[in-house]
Amino acid sequence: MSSANNHPDFLALILENKGIILKICALYCPDKHSREDLTQEIIYHLWRSGRSYDATYRFSTWMYRVALNVAISFYREGKRRRGDHSLSTLHLEIEDRSSDMSQEKERFAWLQACIQGLKEFDRALILLYFEEKSYREIAEILGLTETNVATKISRIKDKLKQCILNNKK
Amino acid sequence: MMEDLELSELWKQYNQKIERANILNLQSWVLHLQTFEYLQTEKAKSRLNAVSRWKKWVAALGVVWVLFLVFLIVNSLVWGKLFFVVSVAAILGFNIYAVIVYIRHTLLISEIDNSESLIEVQQKTAELKASTLQATRVLFLQTPFYCTFFWNFQWMRESPLSFWLIAFPVAVLFAIFSIWLYRNIHLRNANKKWFKLLFSGREWTSVIKSMEYLKEIEEYKKQL
Repeated sequence: MSSANNHPDFLALILENKGIILKICALYCPDKHSREDLTQEIIYHLWRSGRSYDATYRFSTWMYRVALNVAISFYREGKRRRGDHSLSTLHLEIEDRSSDMSQEKERFAWLQACIQGLKEFDRALILLYFEEKSYREIAEILGLTETNVATKISRIKDKLKQCILNNKK
Repeated sequence: MMEDLELSELWKQYNQKIERANILNLQSWVLHLQTFEYLQTEKAKSRLNAVSRWKKWVAALGVVWVLFLVFLIVNSLVWGKLFFVVSVAAILGFNIYAVIVYIRHTLLISEIDNSESLIEVQQKTAELKASTLQATRVLFLQTPFYCTFFWNFQWMRESPLSFWLIAFPVAVLFAIFSIWLYRNIHLRNANKKWFKLLFSGREWTSVIKSMEYLKEIEEYKKQL
């Protein structure tokens, strides 16, 4: 067992995988301001859970578990911006300012809205599926059986396709 | 119907958009993480930091109440105050139990290992939150003792009618009522009017939600 948060490169590892945090925050937190809170909370828990990091697993798998757990709890507690940020001078921009194509934006907004409409665990499942994680890895992250994961993913995909088509109409 | 490939393609484009944002914000993240590391090292020195201020207040209030009850008992240890001492001791017992359960669960929630599987972590958190209701059920059992602390042998001897026809039946009624509550405070009754009336407020709503969440998790695990 290696202690990740004592590792000099721990923050570099978070930095390297920050796309995971951005995606999870975007899917679990529609409100931009609360999203900054969630981002900070995820980083704090990653740092705090660092000692439980088992180096035999991929860092990203461990990071998905921590980040998704924090995001689901945050979402369930309906947390809102607290307004007492110790890090208020450093903004965590998670919006992409480079993309202004309205049609593209619209399509992404549909996809995001459809995923946000799913239940918490389903959101995690589809995110991991899109991230091309194996069923085994998804099962490990969620704590389900591989068969259960496969069935659920196929059902969620149908739901998503239907939702996107409905939005197009 | 949309194809799987189309859906994955849409995600890939969405992903690229996020990756672009990633590069744009790199500097901001580096600064944030450096400041964060410094602040959190200080903050994490006490595990109690993770516990909300409200929960700390409730626990502190519970400890003060327990100490007050101990003070009452210690200062009433005479034969003439037998009913008082026994009643307060019973109330003390229930309150010590509640305070211990509350503090233990609050600490356990703050110590849950988020690197375990999602189902496991969410289930543990919900179970601990829902257990607040368990502790409350037990606390209701103390109510009859609030009707007995003023009993005394002199009253029984000198005004048997008022004692046996009023004080005693009231205590029995409270005992029946508290046992009924103990048996009926359960998620299956969460939609009943008396239950909603008894457990209204933000803290209770979150406890009830946790109990419902537990049921959802169980169903999710089974669902194929």
